[in-house]
Amino acid sequence: MSGAAYRSGPLVWCAILLVTGLLLFLFQKILWLVVPFLFGLIGYYLLVPLQRRLVLGGMSRDATAALLSAGTAALAVGLAVLALPWAGAHLGSWQELASQYIEGGLRFVADTLGWMETNHSFFARVHLSGQWTKYLGEMGGLSGLGDKLAGTYLADVALTVAAWLPSMLLAPFLTFFFLRDGWRFKKFLSDAVPNAFFERTLYLLDQVDHTAQLYFRGLIKLTLLDTVCLAAGLWLIGVSAPLALGLTTATLAWVPYVGSILGCLLVVLVAATDFPGDPAVAYAAIGLFVVVRLLDDFLFMPLTVGKSLKLHPLLTVLMIFVGGAVAGVAGLMLALPLLGVVMVLGETAGQIVTDPRLRARHDFARSLRDRQVRRDLRL
Amino acid sequence: MGLYEVGAGEYFRNIRVRIVRAGLRACRRDVLPTGSSAMLNFFHRRQSSERLRELEQLSRLSLFVGLTHGEMKIVDGFVHERTFLKDEVIFDEGDDGEAIYIIFDGTVTICRQGQSEQPIALLERGSFFGELALLDDAPRMAQARAAENCTLIVLFRGDFLNLMQAHALIASKIALQLARHLGQRLRVAVRGEQAAL
Repeated sequence: MSGAAYRSGPLVWCAILLVTGLLLFLFQKILWLVVPFLFGLIGYYLLVPLQRRLVLGGMSRDATAALLSAGTAALAVGLAVLALPWAGAHLGSWQELASQYIEGGLRFVADTLGWMETNHSFFARVHLSGQWTKYLGEMGGLSGLGDKLAGTYLADVALTVAAWLPSMLLAPFLTFFFLRDGWRFKKFLSDAVPNAFFERTLYLLDQVDHTAQLYFRGLIKLTLLDTVCLAAGLWLIGVSAPLALGLTTATLAWVPYVGSILGCLLVVLVAATDFPGDPAVAYAAIGLFVVVRLLDDFLFMPLTVGKSLKLHPLLTVLMIFVGGAVAGVAGLMLALPLLGVVMVLGETAGQIVTDPRLRARHDFARSLRDRQVRRDLRL
Repeated sequence: MGLYEVGAGEYFRNIRVRIVRAGLRACRRDVLPTGSSAMLNFFHRRQSSERLRELEQLSRLSLFVGLTHGEMKIVDGFVHERTFLKDEVIFDEGDDGEAIYIIFDGTVTICRQGQSEQPIALLERGSFFGELALLDDAPRMAQARAAENCTLIVLFRGDFLNLMQAHALIASKIALQLARHLGQRLRVAVRGEQAAL
């Protein structure tokens, strides 16, 4: 605690990485609880500033938690009620719509291959478009393959959404309890810590809270900035439903690498379908996507999520890959925030364990308490 | 709920006395549940009348003078309560200062490290110490030890910074009390130097 600043050694770092990997593996097994928990935390960090203002206005914490949770739930229900007629009208045509977009994307691939073979001798020699046409012919043409893919994957997506819906309903409940009892839980944890380690533990709790707060608030701000930029760009290009497309793409970017690729694919599919005879629009959409990703990495990210996790870039990339290998898509998403929290915990635990003065003070306090309780028990 | 005569730090049924001064008359709110009882206390929140009484007592402490009841409710969410036995070290000279301590009950000695028999100051109920931790990252300038069994209110620097961001008015009132306190200490120091000259 005193003296030179503490730096974790290789042993502590190995323990941190091992614990993070182990937690990722365990979390993958209880993903139905982890994902709503994460959404609950995001809701908590978004609503807690409002709660503080209401408490200052004279309301109790319990009342503010109930009011804010009920307000958010009412807003969500209201939006769902507004969206229901639209969803109902399009329900029958969703498969048709999906196959139409996939077909547009496949056509875009065929057009691009044709253009490349016309303009570059290397691609002309490879003659990929011929193989592509042959493959399409085997699969029943563009519309046949589009229908097949849409039929296969749309049902899977619908089933996944239906399976996740009950556990996602946990998120608002968790937000309510975080708002109502979060501060009590923090106090409960710190009360259980011996006096000698108390200040260090408070620092630890503050760091964990601060890291999580920066990360989740930053993530929301980043999503909003990405949405606005993508929506504005897509609107300028003339692609349909720019706001919905921008929001979906920005949300998909929560999953490192894979999410960005999926988002780009989505944008290209829509642009290629909206303008079937004009591949330049799809190219413009890809260009827009690349520009927004660059803005995201070099401007928005430092301004929002920024250096909240204070991780070395190499470790960041490695941890994302380890997360993906251990726990799939969930691992990609959870690897960094989890490593940030485990890193703070591990470094502080290492600092406490390796400080002989703190341990001596704790032993002294224990002997004082022992003497106190045994005072009238001498034989 | 009746009153019971209990000794310092003694166990009473399955609960341990929190304010451990010998001969203190302790009622229900003056005991610290241990083990499963602490968990029960977390889930079964204290009665509002008890919370109000605690807030009232907190607001009488010098650092929180001038805060309204609503503001005290905010502050209550940020502070912690700790009990220390006589002679227990609260912090050491040279430690990283992370929190300010306000004496809720008991007395505290401020001394040089390893010189507890020659105290620099003896602080009583309502006083606060370690205040420089809220202002800078400098290490503790002296050691603090419990001169008798005491209960302290702790305001952590990170929480104070959160308070400044979220509730600037409350933080400015606390900062004003801190500035007054430091001003008084400065005057005493200047007078002492002048007297020495």
